[in-house]
Amino acid sequence: MADDGENSVDNKPTDDSKPEKMFTLKKWNAVAMWSWDVECDICAICRVQVMDSCLRCQAENKRDVLGRQDCVVVWGECNHSFHHCCMSLWVKQNNRCPLCQQEWSIQRMGK
Amino acid sequence: MLRAIGKRDRDIFDEVWPEKRKIVLKLLRQETVSQLEWQELFFGVHFVCLWDEKGAAKIYEGLQQDIVEFIVQAQSKVQAQRGEQALLATYIVEWRKFFTQSNYLPLPFRQLEQSPQVKPASSSSSTSSSAIGGGGASTSNAAALISSQVPSSSSSAKPSTSSAATGGASTSAGGASNSAGGSSSKKSPTEDSPVRKLMLDSWNKHIFHDIKDRLQESAMKIVHAERNGDAYDAQLVVGVRESYVNLSSNAEDKLEIYREYFEKAYLKATADFYRLKSAEQQQENGVLAYMKYADAKLREEEVRAKRYLEPSSFNILTCRLVKVLIVDHLNSIIAECPALIRDYETERLNLMFRLLDRVIDGEGVEAMMGDLQRHIKSAGLADMQSASEIITQDSEKYVERLLELFNRFSDLVRNAFNDDPRFLTARDIAFKMVVNDTSVFKMELPTSIANRGVKYTAPESKCPELLANYCDMLLRRTPLSKRLTSEQIDARLRDVLLVLKYVNNKDVFMRYHKVHLTRRLILGTSADSEKEEDIVEWLREVGMPADYVNRLARMFQDIKVSEDLNTQFRNSISRHDAINIKILNAGAWARCSERVSVSLPIELEDYIPDVEEFYKKKHSGRKLQWYHHMSNGTITFVNNFGRYDLDVTTFQMAVLFAWNQRQHDKISYENLRLATELPDPELRRTLWSLVAFPKIKKQILLMEPIAISSPKDFAENTMFYINQEFAIVKNGKSQRRGKLNLIGRLQLSTERSQQEDNQSIVQLRILRTQEAIIKIMKVRKRMNNAALQAELIDILKNMFLPSKKMIKEQLEWLIEHKYMRRDDDDINMFIYVA
Repeated sequence: MADDGENSVDNKPTDDSKPEKMFTLKKWNAVAMWSWDVECDICAICRVQVMDSCLRCQAENKRDVLGRQDCVVVWGECNHSFHHCCMSLWVKQNNRCPLCQQEWSIQRMGK
Repeated sequence: MLRAIGKRDRDIFDEVWPEKRKIVLKLLRQETVSQLEWQELFFGVHFVCLWDEKGAAKIYEGLQQDIVEFIVQAQSKVQAQRGEQALLATYIVEWRKFFTQSNYLPLPFRQLEQSPQVKPASSSSSTSSSAIGGGGASTSNAAALISSQVPSSSSSAKPSTSSAATGGASTSAGGASNSAGGSSSKKSPTEDSPVRKLMLDSWNKHIFHDIKDRLQESAMKIVHAERNGDAYDAQLVVGVRESYVNLSSNAEDKLEIYREYFEKAYLKATADFYRLKSAEQQQENGVLAYMKYADAKLREEEVRAKRYLEPSSFNILTCRLVKVLIVDHLNSIIAECPALIRDYETERLNLMFRLLDRVIDGEGVEAMMGDLQRHIKSAGLADMQSASEIITQDSEKYVERLLELFNRFSDLVRNAFNDDPRFLTARDIAFKMVVNDTSVFKMELPTSIANRGVKYTAPESKCPELLANYCDMLLRRTPLSKRLTSEQIDARLRDVLLVLKYVNNKDVFMRYHKVHLTRRLILGTSADSEKEEDIVEWLREVGMPADYVNRLARMFQDIKVSEDLNTQFRNSISRHDAINIKILNAGAWARCSERVSVSLPIELEDYIPDVEEFYKKKHSGRKLQWYHHMSNGTITFVNNFGRYDLDVTTFQMAVLFAWNQRQHDKISYENLRLATELPDPELRRTLWSLVAFPKIKKQILLMEPIAISSPKDFAENTMFYINQEFAIVKNGKSQRRGKLNLIGRLQLSTERSQQEDNQSIVQLRILRTQEAIIKIMKVRKRMNNAALQAELIDILKNMFLPSKKMIKEQLEWLIEHKYMRRDDDDINMFIYVA
């Protein structure tokens, strides 16, 4: 984060010569939060927030060290979303969306 | 021999016995008996038993007469003694003689054991061979048969020519000869003998019974003399005891007589002696000296008991002594305890503890524990209160003070009470009270949540917050953490966890800890990232709830993922070397905190679409929310005097950049709000940080009017303008160049979200309580109130301590919503409703 501070100063010709800019940006550390773009933030199958790992994943590797990207969210054509883990188990028994009973087909997967 | 056999029809007993009787008398008197005579006796007894049908009975009778006669003589000898010592001495001499003989004399008469005629007199536990007994003739045959084997073992005690003697039985010799010493742990072959029993019973009846009182009395007088430090002859007492022990002919309970007379007398004498003495001692020398006296005497008596008593009596004696020496003085001893604790008189306390610990029901120790607990609590609180000025402000001082107290009390428990678990518990209870006390400072959790029947919450100690602050000071790059070595920081972090153990509301600590951690990770101000992760594991080890700890762990993972992403982003577009991005998982970082809208300066705004574009390519199904209240940066400020790098928050940036177009203008509060679109409280706070940043001589912004003392006093028309004379002042000199951090404590939460945070703590507690109640009830199905509460506290104690009131409210709520119901007959009994 603290790299090439010098460069940015040198590259800016506006600094000393044009006094009309009293403040110039040198560095910006921008912070944003991501979350799944879902309508309901609780997975209807395991009742855990979709932002968290699903119940099974939480139980299995409680202390996973690597980034936990594996428990992603899946959207159906009906636009309902669940944990992918939960849904893949669900469709083995019943290939319908648990919320609207439409035939389940995956629209997109979270990444 | 042949002669005797020849006169078969004559009375064989009359023929043989008179001769043998002389040998018996010799034996009794301990006169020399030749080997031949000894053998003769064996043979004679055998002979009589063999040929005379009533021989055994006759011999027994004759023997009895002789023994009694001998005893009566001995008695008169003993009785003749007037003086106590002389009486005892004579008795012991006579007894020893007699007792020695009781080991030998029965040997020749072993054959009587088999005789049914003697049986009624002998004890039931006689030898197994009695089963063979039948009519007269067959008896003698059987006896003859056995006699060839049985005497072989007994005869080996003395040199013998017995025909059947074999070498194999020589081992029993030792047993027979040492039993005279009194300690007959090994069973000598004569022990079951009816003759021996006869001897001992007779002694008991004729001598002992008459003079036992005198004996005891004399013995006790000797012991008394010993206790008073006079000259004494311990052997006399020991001798008497031995006679009591050995006198018992009851094979099942050898100590019967001893216990009934000697032990009883000894106990009584001891108790009487010390009852007098202890009162005297306490009065003369005071309680403290008395404790020493009692301790010394208890030990002394233990040693004495080893000399004078059988091992079985030790416990009884100690009990009695404890009663007389300690229990009877319990109140006056305990009365000293508070003062001793107050003065840290560890040695005396230790003595007192050792004394009272002997009391069986533990009443004294309990009283001491109570005193300790009270002392720790009151001393701890007094200490805290006296220093409340400093410690409420300074978390470092507070934690250090707390640890100092803790160590002081722990030392006390170690030195005075040997780290006895009961006292450790008392210490812990008291320490808990100190830590969770709300009189010095308190934290208010919100009082107005209409939700789920909670009306108000009790004030709580601020301790967890201060602990978290202290943690932050150790983990962040601060003067404190720079001053300390890595090991010192580790030790202090451990100390924090130690105190944390006593904190009731650990959820508050975790909340503050997380806030601090967020700040450190976002600003990159951790002193040591390894330590950061260590402490997460430590928190797990001390039993913090897994979901709290996992969330912290996820933040570390997430920040690493984000760093990778930032590298990729910067590589992808060369133009963006002035921007770093952190794109974090909302689930781990900021579930409930609210976003603040701000109108970004154009320089910043330009970056946003690029970042979003980049992110969309990387991931799908995700939405991004900008957390500008967390973001920050560095700007270069140029004025008439010099140029400076300023670390600022994005909000500060937004405010300051408003002057880029009109450098010398004064801008009103109202216009700034329009320009930045910051919500009122945020704008006030941001402006205040620019006009009145603590600890700097010259501020960036100036205002009109000047006399405003708090951000609340900004009015719509308050004017702000850039301080063109701004400079960084070092050592009293204005610098032309320099770097200044204006971020201070990164404001992670707005005022409203802070309140929400507090509410969320309460809310989470409510849910946890309900969850735990249901969890318990699901297993138990039926449970009464007290048991339920106990189990509930056990489950929740690692997060927070639920108040009685809260539990009650949640129970009501659950009943109302039909999760459970009360028993119809018992209002305190709950039943789970599935």
